[in-house]
Amino acid sequence: MTSAIEFASVTKVYKRVFSEERVEALTDVSFSVAPGEVCGFLGPNGAGKTTSIGLLMGFLFPNSGQVRVLDFPPGDTRAKAQIGFLPENFAFYRFLTGPKLLALHLALSGRSVPSPEKLIGGLLAQVNLAGYEALRIARYSRGMVQRLGIAQALIGDPQLLVFDEPTSGLDPAGRKEVLDLIHALKHAGKTVFLSSHILPEVEQICDRVIIINRGRLVRAGRLDEILHAGVRVEIVVDQLSEEAERAAVEHGGEVDRAFAHGIRLLVDNSRKRELIEVLWAAGCDVVRVNPLKDTLEEVFLNLVGGAR
Amino acid sequence: MKIRPLAWITFLALLRNRVIVLFFAVFVCVVLLMMTPLLTFKSMANDNPAQGQGMILSLIEGIMSIVSGFGSLLAAWSAADSVASEMKTGTIMAVMARPVRRWEFLLGKYCGVLMLMVLYVVFMFAVSNLLAFIGGERLVTNPWVLLVYPMVRYSIYAALAIWLVTVMHPILAFVIVMIGGVLASMVSPSSSGAAFLSEGIRKVLFYVLPSMDLLSETNFLALTSANLQPTPWTHHLTALVYGVDQAIVCLLLAAWAFRRRSLTRE
Repeated sequence: MTSAIEFASVTKVYKRVFSEERVEALTDVSFSVAPGEVCGFLGPNGAGKTTSIGLLMGFLFPNSGQVRVLDFPPGDTRAKAQIGFLPENFAFYRFLTGPKLLALHLALSGRSVPSPEKLIGGLLAQVNLAGYEALRIARYSRGMVQRLGIAQALIGDPQLLVFDEPTSGLDPAGRKEVLDLIHALKHAGKTVFLSSHILPEVEQICDRVIIINRGRLVRAGRLDEILHAGVRVEIVVDQLSEEAERAAVEHGGEVDRAFAHGIRLLVDNSRKRELIEVLWAAGCDVVRVNPLKDTLEEVFLNLVGGAR
Repeated sequence: MKIRPLAWITFLALLRNRVIVLFFAVFVCVVLLMMTPLLTFKSMANDNPAQGQGMILSLIEGIMSIVSGFGSLLAAWSAADSVASEMKTGTIMAVMARPVRRWEFLLGKYCGVLMLMVLYVVFMFAVSNLLAFIGGERLVTNPWVLLVYPMVRYSIYAALAIWLVTVMHPILAFVIVMIGGVLASMVSPSSSGAAFLSEGIRKVLFYVLPSMDLLSETNFLALTSANLQPTPWTHHLTALVYGVDQAIVCLLLAAWAFRRRSLTRE
């Protein structure tokens, strides 16, 4: 299997029956996610994320292009047997209890386990829902429902997890638990396709990021490439004479005297050693050297902010 | 097999559906309202047994027609709602993300509705016998007729509603099923209704729409004093196969229409 998920020139148009109105939700979108990757799928509201996930899960059909999931067409039961899906605003049978809902999803997943009760109990404990076994889902809080949704996504021991806003409705502790869980899934070799609006979280856990806007792919690639990690370096010194400043500028440094904790110099990574030697030669005490990178939020806003 | 858990969850959801609970409440109210005339006819039967029995038979037939009609409404509504509510609430997303084929989903829904209708038919059977007992009479028929014929009828209504709800709003689907049911009884050769339609159209409708007259269990029902005409098994077989065939065709059409349906929260 070369790709866990593959979109090839996918276009999806919504048309109203008995109307000329048409909305192009996705236009010629192509990307792929490799097995074992954690991939963040980003975009502003209305960008086409839910449509893409609908196509990926086989809920919707593209007008043109091709989608492959785990080497099968979307909706193929062989692919779905290996997918765990958490929809946005996970809906459920409110009259069931958590264990009964998980038992239903276990039955639907077709997974055969020697002790279903043990598996369900373990999953409930994993998402911090142990102790609420007798409580009907109708009485769950939003955060509890989200945790249960994550548990149901995991119940079939899937190879690919598709999470649509997995930390939505969770408190900070709950968010951290979900992020830890995604880390654990990554270490277990699972592929995670994650749609989220919380960019610092995506930045923490994703290997790859796909950004779409107005139905078009605007950026896809490894996170470190997107964030320009390692391209620039920040050097902080305690003092900088005028002579040393002139020498620093000659060697590609940009001086920032407004920096709160000393004097900051910014330089390309390729010239950092040269600049540090110049600073040392000028008698400056180098306090800190940090590689600089953009935040995902900055990159995201640069890419989609102007287009909104 | 994914159909069994789907059928079971559908059945459980239907038992908690407010509209369906209301159906059952109305059912019970109708039966209770009929108690007064039934007891009146019973007291009249003491003076004139033949006349009293006739009135009791008519009353029970009337009640059963109403209850049976309720059953048709219940079957159509349950089937339409069982699919539409999954779309509306979005529970279908989590279910269809599982390795469940679309036709399995529909068949699971359909089986869940049939489970509810089995409950209804058993209840209906018990009520009709109870009414006869209260009226001092005894229903003379084969019990299976009172169980199987309505079930086949309801299976047609449910399959038709499931087919229509895959392509339209549930209320519209429900209304069309009901209009179809009324039209089917109006165009049957024994009915004088639908005279405004030409003979050709009546014939076409008669062959296309399921004939509920043919599938009415009251054809084989009598009280102690009445004569029950013996019915050959070939007649039962033909009628029931005809009904099951109608249901299967509707279900296949539903599966075909649902095959490419977009599954989004509505």
